[in-house]
Formats: sequence, structure tokens, C-alpha cells
Amino acid sequence: MVFSSLLFLFLFLPAVLLVYFLSPWRVKNFVLFVSSLIFYAWGEPVYIAIMLLSTITDYSFGLLLSSPKLSSVQRKWIVVSSIIVNLTLLGYFKYADFLINNINALLGTQIPLTELALPIGISFYTFQSMSYIIDIYRGTAKAQRNWIDFATFVALFPQLVAGPIVQYSTIAEQLRHRTVNASLFAEGVRRFIIGLAKKVLLANNIGLLWNTISSSSADTLPALTAWIGIIAFAFQIYFDFSGYSDMAIGLGLMLGFRFNENFNKPYTAQSITDFWRRWHISLSTWFRDYVYIPLGGNRKGLWKQIRNILIVWLLTGIWHGASWNFMLWGLYFGVILIFEKWVGLKLLQRLPSWLRHSYALLLILIGWVFFAFDELPHMANYFSAMAGANHQPLWNNETLYLLYTNAILLVLLVIASLPKPKSKRSLNPIVQLGWHALLFLMSVAYLVDATFNPFLYFRF
Amino acid sequence: MKEGQASMNKGTDRIYAWGFVSILFAMSLLFFALPVKSFSDVENRPLQKVPKLTWENLWSKKFTDDSESYVTDHFPFRTQWVGAKSLMEQMRLQQENNGIYRGKDGYLFEKFNKPDQTAILKYTDAVRAFANNHQGANLTFLLAPTSIGLYPERLPWLAEAYPQTDVNHLIGQELQSSLTFMDGFQFLRPAADSEKAIYYKTDHHWTTYGAYLAYAAYAKQMGWTPLSEDDFNIETVTDSFLGSYHTRSQFSGLTPDSIQTYMPKNGIPTEMYIADTNETFKSMYASSYLSKKDKYSYFLGGVHALMTLHTELPPEQVDQQKMLVIKDSYAHSFLPFLTQHVKDIHVIDIRYYNGSISDYMEKNGIKDVLLLFNTTTFITENNLLKLK
Repeated sequence: MVFSSLLFLFLFLPAVLLVYFLSPWRVKNFVLFVSSLIFYAWGEPVYIAIMLLSTITDYSFGLLLSSPKLSSVQRKWIVVSSIIVNLTLLGYFKYADFLINNINALLGTQIPLTELALPIGISFYTFQSMSYIIDIYRGTAKAQRNWIDFATFVALFPQLVAGPIVQYSTIAEQLRHRTVNASLFAEGVRRFIIGLAKKVLLANNIGLLWNTISSSSADTLPALTAWIGIIAFAFQIYFDFSGYSDMAIGLGLMLGFRFNENFNKPYTAQSITDFWRRWHISLSTWFRDYVYIPLGGNRKGLWKQIRNILIVWLLTGIWHGASWNFMLWGLYFGVILIFEKWVGLKLLQRLPSWLRHSYALLLILIGWVFFAFDELPHMANYFSAMAGANHQPLWNNETLYLLYTNAILLVLLVIASLPKPKSKRSLNPIVQLGWHALLFLMSVAYLVDATFNPFLYFRF
Repeated sequence: MKEGQASMNKGTDRIYAWGFVSILFAMSLLFFALPVKSFSDVENRPLQKVPKLTWENLWSKKFTDDSESYVTDHFPFRTQWVGAKSLMEQMRLQQENNGIYRGKDGYLFEKFNKPDQTAILKYTDAVRAFANNHQGANLTFLLAPTSIGLYPERLPWLAEAYPQTDVNHLIGQELQSSLTFMDGFQFLRPAADSEKAIYYKTDHHWTTYGAYLAYAAYAKQMGWTPLSEDDFNIETVTDSFLGSYHTRSQFSGLTPDSIQTYMPKNGIPTEMYIADTNETFKSMYASSYLSKKDKYSYFLGGVHALMTLHTELPPEQVDQQKMLVIKDSYAHSFLPFLTQHVKDIHVIDIRYYNGSISDYMEKNGIKDVLLLFNTTTFITENNLLKLK
């Protein structure tokens, strides 16, 4: 199920809210767990087994780890086993075919593909599960003795499909003690509506523009059209993903959970370093806490640090999908971050802010080209269209048509990407209420029409 | 909360919480309470039936898929929501909705992008193979452009479509050595600027006048004398036709089209036999459709896989005893004209007919064949590969 569907909004959600709020506290987690299973099984009845397997394994490893009689070697082995189980699941379902394809291409072998569909959310829940075991190992969290509580943490439907990746330590306390009241619920409603509108009104519609442009042959694409296309993609992916995070955070609040923020106006970044502090924060934090720092971070000398950055960004890339272009994309940012660390940021500080901003946006947009095309020849053609190297005019009638028919949407997208002006924060509550109601109704209208409602992040 | 907003006062918060919950519950109550419709007139299609909960359905995801469609199909005030979306799209200067342009002079157009050339060649190969297997037969291929092909200047400002003339030209080049090829542009373009509409503004078909022009050209090609327009009583049977382009786009504020019939003044009735249902009708027009959304089905009563049209023409009026027409729905308003020249017309819609056309021709001793398609059908219709 996805949040941006009528079935979720008008049948599943009211049913869950009704049962959840009528249930006494001691069974609320159980209600959430069962709801989450239904939510998950809706799209993947079979793969529910994999999620439960990952859950049960880490629950048991957690209990084992908390036993005081273990030696430090034994404790290490438990953590390693848990990581192996999770990465095997992830590797088998997400990367096996990619690996086989490459082996076949390289060695000329004929190993058959597994052709398995990617279990929804597997990249998210395996990471959450691993964070739990590592947190216990490090002593920053206590093992959860209640299986239902732990399973609720892993399967919690608001963040199950597309994050944010919730680290166990941030939510451990809330699994037992959380408050639910009208103002938290109202905050959740506002946040959910904003997320829904971002996804349905902004991301889906600008996605149509990207579809139009990316599906036409790059050989005949004028440079300006190519740039409009990648800008459209940048907006689509941001509003799609951050919209989904907003909806997750909003639903969490309605149920009494506080998840960490996942985005912070990433397109206002003044450098790539800054961008990655603002984009998919829960993922970069995860890699920092569970990969970069354990590898030694920046404490083992220059070369080790470069190595660590490259490892983290290669992994970040491949996490986004089993394909070479994602690795390239990760590596691309890894190299830029290394550059910024040693010289770039110092140079940037001397520049005026608009130039820093342009620098960051340009690099981000180029990055999205790596991200958008999983076939390298297509990617190369698109780059050449952007550079005007395909012997096409700078623009044509179609460029202007696409621009004026999307002008209002593009203006709205820019406004929505910027921080909220102070004047709007103190708007009259009635005006705000009307605004949220309008956004909600508009989103429903677009959902009913929904001829186009793909959810991009299912690939992860 | 970095991207969230500050908490508001308690009263407003209560309105938010209860308001949101009430809307959710109100909509789901309405959803269950409103009567279940089985067919949507506006969308002109059957709606999803109540999904059946069985293990098999659950396992194969059919239950969940059907449930999603069931909810969207039966969502309360569905048409109004869709209309509201279309309105918002127009307010943001979008000139298209669900793949339909809102063009000039009230014309709606289906987008026409650069077609896949290899697919076209596959289809022309199939037609050529068909021609080669029927060397003794007299084959004509009539390819009609769609409205966007004839009226590209009526597209929204700066919008562009791939020129259908090029597509028709390519198809013609591929086919003209194997059969008689008639490019619709040849006989429609001279009339493109006349007062009379060649295409419906809100539907993807040509008007009866468009079909008449095609008929006149085809008759000349066959060496017959076409009837002039004066030989017909031209009647308007409805003026409230909002066709398929309207259905898809849901644009509001459109002027509906009118549908004309050309009734020959010395009318000889035609008997229409529908093989699919084994029914015989005394008329080629099904007036019951005039009160429905799908008014074009007035002609021949809609799509049939196989049908025959028999007309007891006086011997001096018979130009031909029998022929076969392999067609899409552009033929529906065209066929009544042919009945004035041919006693027995066999009509096969290749999209729905699954038998062998060669066998059918042999069995019925047919030597004359007309293939009639519009460009969009021809370049996208996989069933054409059934031709042999």
C-alpha cells in the first residue's frame, strides 16, 4: 500500500486510527504491528516472511547480546552474524541479479538470473534492524525483551516503505511511553497533508514533464529542454521523497511517535557538504554512525579518511539501487566531498552566497543525471544534449511550450523549496486551516484522477 | 521540527484533529453507503466489481489490485473530483489533460508523438504478406489521418505534433507496390477549410461528412460513380455528443458535437447481421445509443468482430456483388455509403476477430477487400499482425 492512495486514506487509515485509539495502551503496539503487517502484505503477501525472518533473527540476537556472561569475542560474533544475516537478505534480493549480470558479461557465463521482485522497504528495515543490534553492542540501547515491541519498531507502517530510517535508540523510549493528544495529532495532520500535497500535487505533475522530456530521444533534444528536464527530475525526486517522509512523520505524530527529520530544504544548500546534511538525513546519519566512524572516520590520517569517504559514498550509491549508475552517482559525490573538505569549502567561503548556491545546484543537477539513467549510453547522450553537443538549436517551440505550460508549477516548486518566510509562520490559524483543507481536497482530486501515480522510491 | 510548523492553539488543533478524522470517516461511510454502479457513462467503461476474497485471489494479488480499482472506481463524487482536477490543470496554464490537448476552435486532440518506425514496418510487412498471399484479389488500403494530422495549426500555442503526413507517406511507400494505397490526406485536405467539419471536436472519429469524402474517393478509385451529397437527406440526429477525447480529458465548457446521418433519398433498406451475437437488424443505426455517452455507436451499433450488410439493390445499381472490409471504427460511419454500391459487405474488425481471414475469404468467395484504418490505430494495433 502507499500513503498516496484512496484506499489507504479513506479505508485503511480511518480503520487503524479507530482501533488504535479505542485500544488500551498495553495492546496499542500490537494493533500497530498487525496493521503494519496488513499494510505490508497488501503489496507483497509472500515477502512478509522475509521481514519477519529479519525481525525474529535480530530480536534473538539482541537478547543474546544482553546476556552478561558473554566474552567480548562472542559479542563481536553475534553482531557480525546479525549483519551477515541482514546483508545476505538484502544482497540476495536486491543485488544478486546485478552481480550475475556483471559476472555473465565479464566471463561470458550463462548463470541464470533469480528474477526476484525487490521486497518493498527491504533497504529500510534491514538498516533499522542492524542499527538495533549495533546500538546494543555499543551499549547505547538496551535489548528489547518484548517481541511485539521490537517487531513494531521494525514494521511500523509509517516508515516501513520509504523511511525515514529510524535508529532504534531514537525510538526505544517511545515504544513504551508516548503521549497522544490533540495538538500532536493536529501537528501530524498538518504534516501529513503537506507531504501528501508535495507528492500528489507537485512531484507527480512535474514528473510528467520529466517523463515527456526523458522519453524523447536525447539526440534531438535542444540544450534548454534537457536542462528543464533535469530540473524537473530534481524537483520530482525531492518532492516525492520528502513528501513521503513528511507523510511518515505526520502519521507517526498522529500515533504518538516522533521520528527524526529527513530533509531540510536541500536545494538551498551552499555546498555539496551542506546538501548532504540536508538530503535524506536519516541515511547519511546511518552511514556516518555505522560505517564511516567505525572505519576510523577522520582520525586515522588523510589517506584512510579519503578511503573511508569513498567507501561510504560507494555504499550510499549502491544502496539507492543495484545498478552501475547509482555507484557512479555515489562516487561522484564522494569525490566532490573530498575536494570540498580539503580545498573547496575554503575557496567557496570567499565567494558571494549566490555563487556558492549556484555551484551547489549545478553539481546537484549533474548528479541527478547520473541518478536518472541506469543505462550508461542514455546518460551520455543526455549529458551531450545538456552541453549542446548534439548539434541541436538551443531551444525550439517545444521548449517554449513545455515552459509556459509548466511555468506556474515551476514557480510553486521553487517557492516550496525555499524556507518559509517569517510572515507566513504567523498566519492567522483560520487562514492556515483553510489552506490545509484546500491542499487536502486538491490532492484528493488529483488522486481520484490518478492516471499517473508511480512511487519512485519502491526501487530501493 | 525544522520543516514542520509551530504548534497552534488548542482550539485550532482540535478542529484540525477532528476535522481530518471526520472527513476520512465521512468519505468511507459514503463510500459504503452509496449505491454501487456497474457502469460509468462518463468514462464509458464497466466499473470494477466487488473484489472476491479467496486464497487464490489473495495470493496472486488480484484481491488487492481489484480492491484498489474498486475504491477508485466507486469513490464518492468521482466525476466531480476528476472535473475539479481538469479545471485546476487548466488554471495552471496546462494545455493538456490525460494526454488530450485543448486546441483552438473547440478542438480536442490526442497527442501524436514520433512513432516507432520498426513497429510501423512490422505492420506494413503484415499487410504486404497478406497482399502477397492473395495475389488474385483486388486489395485497397485506405489510411485516414486523425484530426491532429489534418489540423496541426489548431494545436495549442507552440504545441507540436509529429506530422502524420510523414507517417502516412512512409506507410504508402511500403505498401503501394503490393496493393492500391489511398492516403486520406489526398481527399480530406482539399475540404479541410470548408465550413463542414471533417472531424468531431470532442471525439477521435471523423464525422459523417469526413466519411462521405472517403467514400467518394474510394468509389472513384473503384470506377463507380459516387452519389453526390444532394442524393442524401442529411439529418442531425443529436447535437449533444461529447466523445472519447472529452471522456479522457474531462475538460469543461466544451461545445458538444452533432452527429449527422446521410440517408439516401431512394433508400433501399439494409439488413445488418451481427455474427458475434447471431442477431439481424433492419437498420444500420442503433438509436438507443443516442441517449448514452458513447453516441458514435449509433453507427452499426458499435464494434463487432464479424458482421455482414446485405442490401437488395436493383441490378442496375449493383457495382459489385460482395466484398470484405477489414477495419477499425472509422469504417462505422463509412460503411452505410458502400451499401449503395455493394450487395453483400462482409465486415471484420481485426482487433476482435480471431479466425483466419484467408479461410473466411475462401469460404465466401471474396475477391475484393478494403482495409480501412486511421493512422493512430494502424501504428499501434498489434492485432494487425494477425493479417496473413
